[in-house]
Amino acid sequence: MLPVLVVHGGAGHIPEERAERSTAGVCSAARAGYAVFQRGGSSMDAVVEAVTQLENNPSFNAGCGSVLNVKGEVEMDAIVMEGKTLASGAVCAVRNIANPVQLARLIMDKTSHACLTAEGANHFARLMGVPEVTQESLITEYSRMRWKKNLTPDANPVECQMGKMGTVGAVAVDSEGNVACATSTGGILNKMEGRVGDTPCIGCGGYADNQSGAVSTTGHGEAIMKVTLARHILFHMEQGQSAEAASDLGLAYMKSRVGGLGGVVTVDPQGNWAARFSSKQMSWAAVQKDTLHYGLYTGEHVTKSIAEPQ
Amino acid sequence: MYKYEFRESRDYGGVIVQQEHLKIRKRSVKMTAVVVVHGGAWAIPDDLAKASVDGVKAAACEGFSVLKRGGSALDAVESAVKALEDNTVFNAGHGAALNMEGEVELDAIIMDGRTLASGAVSSVKNIANPVSLARAVMEKTDHIMLTGRGANLFAESIGVVTVPTHTLVTQYERKEWEKHKGYVTGVMEDFNSQWAHDTVGAVAVDCAGNVACATSTGGIRNKMVGRVGDSPIIGCGGYADNFSGAVSCTGHGESILKVTLARLILSHIEQGKSVEDASQLSLRYMGERVRGAGGAIVVSQSGRWAATFSTERMAWAAVEQDVLWYGLDPNERIKEQLSQ
Repeated sequence: MLPVLVVHGGAGHIPEERAERSTAGVCSAARAGYAVFQRGGSSMDAVVEAVTQLENNPSFNAGCGSVLNVKGEVEMDAIVMEGKTLASGAVCAVRNIANPVQLARLIMDKTSHACLTAEGANHFARLMGVPEVTQESLITEYSRMRWKKNLTPDANPVECQMGKMGTVGAVAVDSEGNVACATSTGGILNKMEGRVGDTPCIGCGGYADNQSGAVSTTGHGEAIMKVTLARHILFHMEQGQSAEAASDLGLAYMKSRVGGLGGVVTVDPQGNWAARFSSKQMSWAAVQKDTLHYGLYTGEHVTKSIAEPQ
Repeated sequence: MYKYEFRESRDYGGVIVQQEHLKIRKRSVKMTAVVVVHGGAWAIPDDLAKASVDGVKAAACEGFSVLKRGGSALDAVESAVKALEDNTVFNAGHGAALNMEGEVELDAIIMDGRTLASGAVSSVKNIANPVSLARAVMEKTDHIMLTGRGANLFAESIGVVTVPTHTLVTQYERKEWEKHKGYVTGVMEDFNSQWAHDTVGAVAVDCAGNVACATSTGGIRNKMVGRVGDSPIIGCGGYADNFSGAVSCTGHGESILKVTLARLILSHIEQGKSVEDASQLSLRYMGERVRGAGGAIVVSQSGRWAATFSTERMAWAAVEQDVLWYGLDPNERIKEQLSQ
């Protein structure tokens, strides 16, 4: 059963013309993350690698390809957490960084803090020698087009927000039974400057505990925060629910209590995993043993051998 | 028994949830209003002891007077925490700890247990009452949390007065900072809880049976610029849910984050534990699992409350039915009748 790695590329409504790229992106990130295990890496190494790949892929709302805030700027949030020690690192509203997930890991590894925000996070990045990149290098034509569209007087914010999701994340358990999670996002379209969503908040955007499992979430950020979705799902697993049942219970609760939709990837320390969502779609992929699993629509679950060409 | 009934229903169907809402509202008309406040859990030195106790007593009375006038739990926790922020004895608002650069950066959260709505600010500067700004984020934006400059821009846009940094800094804090700035803020110092991390907070339940929490802090002394602790993080520094209760936490922030302490305490209550047992179990777990010490105040919808800590001391006070309770040392619980 071990190791296993599951990634998501965001829950929401994915426009048809972008669906294929989204699926290809999560599949290749899952393969890249899984390859880390084969080189002897830990679950933390694997989730950071998978999320780095998704951040670098302009099809996703994280790193390059992040949505723009109301001023047309990129501000990103990310978190990592390891289940053995409950150590975690997070950044909020950080700018000019290609891979916020790696900066979050540096905060976990190199400071006594768990979260750095805004300019303080950038200051720390400079101290660590993390290269700064230009805003332009993080902005795609698509993200700029959607930002502009949402500023026009006839804009339909609800319509525009439909395709907004696309937070990326990964969970993994390595052969030693250590679980880890990582989540990264550009947030929501036309957000206020300094808005922090669920992603970097421990227990909301992600949580990992060797005694129960690991979760990475995506979807309506403010709803996820209200129910601390990741922690909520793990409470259910502590009560004996399976990864899949706990994920469904958490998502159903979020829908009934605060009217929010979203999706999650979940693993337990034994290697049982789930990719569940209450939104219309969520691109996800998982690798376990020699098999790649992936899907985008509800109920869709494709499997193929990882030996097959991409 | 009743709780269980609800747990089953809320997981599986929206319609039943509605019915349970009504039931609770009807039942809670008879509820008594309660407010509990804390002024931080750490090794409070004797020379700060009296001022800390006086401060929490005054803040609890302030919060209770809001409830007595028919105010909501949300109003009560906001005004109690404002009183603590304005009090220079506490590390929040006026009197906050300084970061590595000698600046004040404040974090706060507020949460409404009826709707689970919440507002938070992190690393905000030049604001006298971050808890009120957090409430404005909750009520005036679609977001839950604003950070850094963005939080200040929002404050400006809604006409919140900014105050110069020096007005938030006390002479005491400046001196302590000068003394300590050579040290590296290592985790171990904080575990020993000798260093001030006196976050303030309040929880309340009003006559309508709604619970709320609020937490505010200047963070830990000599923190890195932009460090965000547990206080503004939902489920860590605080959480409020009418179906279980409201919690405000204090103590070693990074440990509280690791175990999502507020949410952990409430999950025990959901499982049928008393407010006291839930707090104690969770603080013990935090001590064992991540070697962190701290404290928490909890109130349930039925008006049961607890003030619990694993540090040397925590200044706390509670008011219910015109009776004031307060304490500082472990197991200390002093009763005082308030004039009607």
